[in-house]
Amino acid sequence: MTFSIEPWTEKTVVVHVGKALDFRNAANFKASCQDQVRDGIRNFVLDFSETGILDSTGLGSIFSLYRQVSPLEGQVVFASVSRPVQVVVQLTRTYKVFRQFPSLEAARETLQ
Amino acid sequence: MVTTRHRFSDLDSVMDEVHALFEHWEEEGLFEPLFDRDKIQLMRLAVHEWLANLVQHADFSDRTPEITLDLHPNGERVRCVIEDNSEGFDLDVKLLDRMNGLDKYPERGMGLLMLNAATEFLDYRRGTNGHHRLEFSVSADDNPWLSIPF
Repeated sequence: MTFSIEPWTEKTVVVHVGKALDFRNAANFKASCQDQVRDGIRNFVLDFSETGILDSTGLGSIFSLYRQVSPLEGQVVFASVSRPVQVVVQLTRTYKVFRQFPSLEAARETLQ
Repeated sequence: MVTTRHRFSDLDSVMDEVHALFEHWEEEGLFEPLFDRDKIQLMRLAVHEWLANLVQHADFSDRTPEITLDLHPNGERVRCVIEDNSEGFDLDVKLLDRMNGLDKYPERGMGLLMLNAATEFLDYRRGTNGHHRLEFSVSADDNPWLSIPF
């Protein structure tokens, strides 16, 4: 597990994804995010600044989170997207689904 | 640009070993000047998705896994060959199955489709040595994308 979760507000957390979100830790990521949703969190800012690997299973776990919070008027947004993650975003065109911010500060200004 | 070959036999460590290799190749500029960093990442993603598939799903029976990775830079393309000693499977059938069965905002089933979208000339079949052989190319010019139901 390389990710860590930082509370921002009552309803918003930042997930510092760390070096990798792939088939090796995606289940753990999904379970941790589900716990957050159960605790009332609705908005997830995914910090990809340190991320060198995002694979299909990792992306699938993010879709799972999106499906969970969307009906609750929650959001999943990307911040500080690294080049390896941007390549996945472009390949899969997920920029149509997940709003991107150049930095955590920019995400904070918009979401709070 | 030079051809490289690497062998792996430990499924627990193959992912870390391969990513360490790509980081080393990037630092050394192995694929320059034609391949920019994004195209190297695309090739790295394709290799990752295939190896992830082998690690999670391949049937090696009672054999010690043997995986070789060959990269052959050739002008504006890099040809990649990954051989394994698993039982193999019909990639074309699996791809068709995945294409027809992808959910909206899918949680599973994107790996082989991402591999297919990111590459050219994708082919997986049993070789003359009895091992299965995946072959594909990544182009410096392409701007590939995968259609996912949103």
